Amino acid sequence: MNQDQILCFMIRLQLHIRKLLVPLAIGLFGSLSIAMAEGDSAATEAERKSLEIFEKQVRPAMLEHCIRCHGAEKQRGGLRLDSAEGWAVGGDSGPALVPHDTTSLLLQAIRYQDPIVEMPPKGKLPSRVIEAFEAWVALGAVDPRREVAPRNDASDAVPGIDEGREFWAFQPLAPVAVPESDSGEWPETPIDRFIFAGLERNGLAPNPPADRGTLLRRVYYDLVGLPPTPQEIREFLADRSDKALEKVVDRLLSSPRFGQRWGRHWLDVVRFAESSGGGRTLLFPDAWRFRDYVIESFNRDLPYNRFLKEQIAGDLLPWDNWQQRQRQLVATGFLLLGPTNYEMQDKGILEMDVVDEQLDTIGKAFLGMTIGCARCHDHKFDPIPTSDYYAMAGIFKSTKSLIHSNVSSWNKVGLPLPDDQESRLAAHQRAVAAVKRALKKATERWEQAGGDAKPGRGDRKSLDPKQIGAVVIDDDDAQRIGAWKESVAIAQFVGSRYLHDESAGKGEKQVVYHHRFDSPGEYEIFVSYSAGSNRSTRVPIRVFHRGGETLIRVDQRKRPKVDGTFVSLGTFNFDSENPLKLIVSNEDTDDGVVIADAVAIAESSSSISTLIRQTDDETEKGAADDTADAEQLRGLEARVKELTRELQQLEKSGPMRPVAMAVQDDPDGGDIHLMIRGVVGQHGPLTPRGVMQVAAWEPFPSIPEGSSGRLEYADWIADERHPLTARVMVNRIWHWMMGRGIVRTVDNFGSTGEPPSDPALLDYLAGEFIRDGWSVKKLIRRIALSRVYQLSSAPGEQAAIDGANRGMWRMNRKRLRAEDIRDSILAVSGSLDHRYAGPAIKSGTKIEYGYEFDSRRRSVYLPVFRNTLPEVFEVFDFADPNIQLGARSTSTIAAQALWLMNHPDMLRATRKAASRLLATSHESDLERIEYAFLQVLGRPPTAVERRISFNLLLGEATTEAPQVSPTENWAMLYQALFQSIDFRYLN
Amino acid sequence: MFPSRRELLKSMGCGFGYLATAAMTKAQAGASTEASMRRNPLAAKSPHFAPRAKRVIFLFMQGGPSQVDTFDHKPLLDRRDGELETFDDARVLAKRKEVVEHRVFKSPWKFQRYGECGQSVSELFPHIARHVDDLCFLKGMHTDGVAHGPATLFLHTGSINLVRPSMGSWVLYGLGTENENLPGFVTIQPSMGNGGPRNYNNAFLPAVYQGTAIGRAGTPASEARIRNLANANISPSQQRRQFESLRQLNTAQISQRPGDPELEAVINSYELAWRMQRAVPDILDLSQEPQHIRQLYGIGSKPTDDFGRQCLMARRLCEAGVRFVQVNYGDNSNNPRWDQHSNLEKHAEHALNTDQPVAGLIQDLKQRGLLEDTLIWWGGEFGRTPYAQANGTGRDHNPYGFTIFLAGGGVKPGFSYGATDEFGHHAIRNKVHMHDWHATLLHLLGLDHEELTFLHDGRPFRLTDVHGEVISEIFA
Repeated sequence: MNQDQILCFMIRLQLHIRKLLVPLAIGLFGSLSIAMAEGDSAATEAERKSLEIFEKQVRPAMLEHCIRCHGAEKQRGGLRLDSAEGWAVGGDSGPALVPHDTTSLLLQAIRYQDPIVEMPPKGKLPSRVIEAFEAWVALGAVDPRREVAPRNDASDAVPGIDEGREFWAFQPLAPVAVPESDSGEWPETPIDRFIFAGLERNGLAPNPPADRGTLLRRVYYDLVGLPPTPQEIREFLADRSDKALEKVVDRLLSSPRFGQRWGRHWLDVVRFAESSGGGRTLLFPDAWRFRDYVIESFNRDLPYNRFLKEQIAGDLLPWDNWQQRQRQLVATGFLLLGPTNYEMQDKGILEMDVVDEQLDTIGKAFLGMTIGCARCHDHKFDPIPTSDYYAMAGIFKSTKSLIHSNVSSWNKVGLPLPDDQESRLAAHQRAVAAVKRALKKATERWEQAGGDAKPGRGDRKSLDPKQIGAVVIDDDDAQRIGAWKESVAIAQFVGSRYLHDESAGKGEKQVVYHHRFDSPGEYEIFVSYSAGSNRSTRVPIRVFHRGGETLIRVDQRKRPKVDGTFVSLGTFNFDSENPLKLIVSNEDTDDGVVIADAVAIAESSSSISTLIRQTDDETEKGAADDTADAEQLRGLEARVKELTRELQQLEKSGPMRPVAMAVQDDPDGGDIHLMIRGVVGQHGPLTPRGVMQVAAWEPFPSIPEGSSGRLEYADWIADERHPLTARVMVNRIWHWMMGRGIVRTVDNFGSTGEPPSDPALLDYLAGEFIRDGWSVKKLIRRIALSRVYQLSSAPGEQAAIDGANRGMWRMNRKRLRAEDIRDSILAVSGSLDHRYAGPAIKSGTKIEYGYEFDSRRRSVYLPVFRNTLPEVFEVFDFADPNIQLGARSTSTIAAQALWLMNHPDMLRATRKAASRLLATSHESDLERIEYAFLQVLGRPPTAVERRISFNLLLGEATTEAPQVSPTENWAMLYQALFQSIDFRYLN
Repeated sequence: MFPSRRELLKSMGCGFGYLATAAMTKAQAGASTEASMRRNPLAAKSPHFAPRAKRVIFLFMQGGPSQVDTFDHKPLLDRRDGELETFDDARVLAKRKEVVEHRVFKSPWKFQRYGECGQSVSELFPHIARHVDDLCFLKGMHTDGVAHGPATLFLHTGSINLVRPSMGSWVLYGLGTENENLPGFVTIQPSMGNGGPRNYNNAFLPAVYQGTAIGRAGTPASEARIRNLANANISPSQQRRQFESLRQLNTAQISQRPGDPELEAVINSYELAWRMQRAVPDILDLSQEPQHIRQLYGIGSKPTDDFGRQCLMARRLCEAGVRFVQVNYGDNSNNPRWDQHSNLEKHAEHALNTDQPVAGLIQDLKQRGLLEDTLIWWGGEFGRTPYAQANGTGRDHNPYGFTIFLAGGGVKPGFSYGATDEFGHHAIRNKVHMHDWHATLLHLLGLDHEELTFLHDGRPFRLTDVHGEVISEIFA
């Protein structure tokens, strides 16, 4: 022990041993213990002993096993064990140790009492060490170690809110003056003036404009994602008017294909997919409505702030007609389309995971903020404290996003329909109700006449256990293992319900019944179940009794013998040593559903069958007695059957109300507690609902009782005073048009993102965007008609000064995206299916695995599954739908080349393109070559390219490569063009 | 304003340089040069420290083989067979937060000690048993995830829920590949279920690091191919003619922008594809192997033919310089092969199918001197319970304690590390969490799991998240 430690040690002792009178200024441990021994209280004696145990056993054990994760370097679970304060204050779960308390958490953990917290994780300590800890604590847990360094957390200064507002992205939008330009005619639009001013400052000059063919191809792909046809190219090149480009831009902006291209951009941003992903991925059969909504919104040029409001709170907005209501409900699918592990068994955690995913997506998509970081700790880089996170989380926790079950699902809402359809639906519902009433009446009549309605038809659905003259153990009193669904669907069951295994998790589920007998003896055991044709024929039921264990298999498709409810398993002996244990299991029952309901026990002398009511046999006998009655009975039965069929027919054929993935407010919502370190159940203070304070300009409005606050939250984001909303969106549009954002990290406007390369231009665009009524089309038009957009992308000497082109002295060369490649190939081959809107997943699809993507529709209508993407998407850098991604990465991998070289879709399309070409009226191969180049590359061939093409087409036949058909030759040329770099890039 | 070296590197895709443009015109394009290697993200990279292994073969036993029926012998199960005992079953606990009784279930298979190390092996694995002196057992494994989906994703990516790169992608990112004509991370006949492609996906790492699948589960191994590696319409010689035209077209087009590294990368990707198209079928052509080698792997006899082929492919891929090869013994169902919730006897079928091929692989690598720097890892996503599930005839999942074994690649041969409790339920001594194993695996390859990071979403990510301890006790 050095002097410092001794000093700390003494202070500690003073804290613990208050009665100690002897001064402790003694330098050696040995002397100390003598000094302590002079104290006369019993407590002192215990504490001295405690200290000794600590020094001899506890301290070395802690050093060896605990400090690495609970010391100065790491504080797992927020806990430090390198000082007495450390364990006294404790971590996330409260104090680790309380002196004298041998149920202290730390002791529980080292005893491996609770499988959730077993410490040390690498293995249980030897029992003598555990005993030493126990003794040390029992004697008072004397620990001389004083806190040396402040806790790590305190030194991690999180940016404060006020300080945070200084950051550029949180500054309010202010009017920006368009730079004056004295030097030239060059700038044509305000955008050009900003860019030109920036270039001048850096001694750069803009590139010359792109040639017109290149420009046309650029505009086509950027606006509608398809190549111009040779005809359109020729027309454009022939149009020498000033308005030639403007005309094309306006035409493309009003084409329905515009929304297909730009809607897909947005679908990237909101991580759109048609399955849930994860281990057991579920299909989203109604997600297509959201895709259609997005495409249509871009085509209608729905103001962006309205667009985002509908996605966050469309269900809460007023509406004028059913179409609007439908649209707004569908829009909220945005909140539900995320990757969610619906299988998760702890539903509390599942709900918070969904909320987290929603906040994370909203943060990145609309605000360019990584809000999710603040779930567990104050954001390390941005001024988002955990309290802001839970203020926002409360809003979404008060929103109904899930329907719970063993495997939960997303919330669904029925959609309103036009009046005529609504009235047809109502008429149908009335018709169904009428048939149901008739059926009920017919069934009653039949039963009164002595008929026995099959389970599920009559209203005699359940039996009160008290009615049964036997000991009854209903499923309420049994022990369930695995996920059983509670059901009342099919009569006839005992008590309030029965249990249904959903034909899932075979071999994983059982229901266990126990009963102790007052007197030993022989008993008959019965089980009840509601029979049905989907049931298993071999439900294993094990009875444990004095003679051992007996397995009985029950066919649950057969109606139970006893009153249609119970079946006897036989007679067994029981005594106090051998109580009844009965297990209904779903093991080895792949042929159907397993039902567990009640168990009844009757003394063997008085069989249960006489205790309830009549048996099947009696019914049959009674009915057979009188032929006249029997005839009447058959007539009544026929009527029941007829009505049943009618009902089934009606229910199958009638109109159905369409449903959408949509949210609703949860009337029981409210503020939630902060969750310490993000752990569900570790409550911190209650956090009033609200928004990110650093981007708020006024207090959050009070939330009406019973509503979530989502509408108010959406209003906050959609407000033109919001510092982020307009900036983030104009930057996205700039990115999609120019190939790179003014802020290059388009989803991250925080301090770990990049600052804007031209802040004034960003703010100018944001201001104009708002003034234009948040019109996306107007902004695209502004950009497309600027000179900057029309610049050549050719590299030049200036690359040495600004190679990354941050000053925009040239157009960025862009890569064709996966969709562009596929759509172009299909378009050139003449097989692109231009159908607009509607579902994309083939009907009858149950799971994404093995799905065949053989549709010829535009790529935006190919299903996007989280675990299984179309191959062309997978290899050409499609946005991973598991991650919110506003800027796709671009990779260059051999798999892309292989797809273009060998994929059957490619081969099929190039053959079709070739046959099509050969069917045209072109007179020479030269014309055909020219046409093919215009189709694929948007320009005629150069002399060299023409020669290469001829060589390929007319290549000398060799023994190795014998002559092939002309179609095959032309197909090879098309394929080579699609592989060439001038196709794959947008210059 | 200026591009940093990092940006330059980033923009380059997988191009390996200027030289390729020139090389293109030659029939056999470009062996890589030193200069080009520097610019290629797949080029072999120096590890953080001296590696013990250069490559990995992971024999994935999908579904969760039972530790107490294979390598973790528990005599207590024989003595207490049929008795009811309270166990904190992982599934019951997760769902109901309860601890209930289960019937102790002895192993139907006998154990025997083998080799100088005296390792116990059940009669399920007579072939593997002969090699125990080359094996290193981790018997205190434990992991996250009670169901197959989460646990399988956790095994491969270190996360049960979030989208993270597969460990093979991390390894390739850290080390690059030794053969540019081949993908550096290959998975042979992967399952389409339980996360499917996410188990070999690069997630946010650059796409060059994604795993390449050879075939898929549920099809014969003799038909396993890398997709799009052959043109169904035209003959190879026609395709060569077309490829020559493409080269000329691209040369003409790039002449507008000479020296553009990104365009060169695209051109090079065609060259690589072309070479792969030639090299891969050759490597996967097992008929080139002599008969005695094919027999060693059990190829030609029915139960072992499939897995034997997979294992032999793995050896050939490793020999050719592939960094990470995963061999999957699995299927596409929600209850994958080793998943004996009932009818535990079926373990014998799976053991029969895999025992000889695995033993053959170990022996073959050893006789070729490849075992020294190749790490073999055999294991599933979790283990199984030592008690009967639902008091029936099978065992449920058990993430609390299970066994994997390793061979070669710098681990102690004839060694066993860690232990489960007396029933074989919980790992209790020298426990190794899956995160720890990931950290150790990277360490064996010369990579520091805390240093191997990638910046994404504004923060660095790593395979082991904030966890993982390197288990240096198993190092040779």
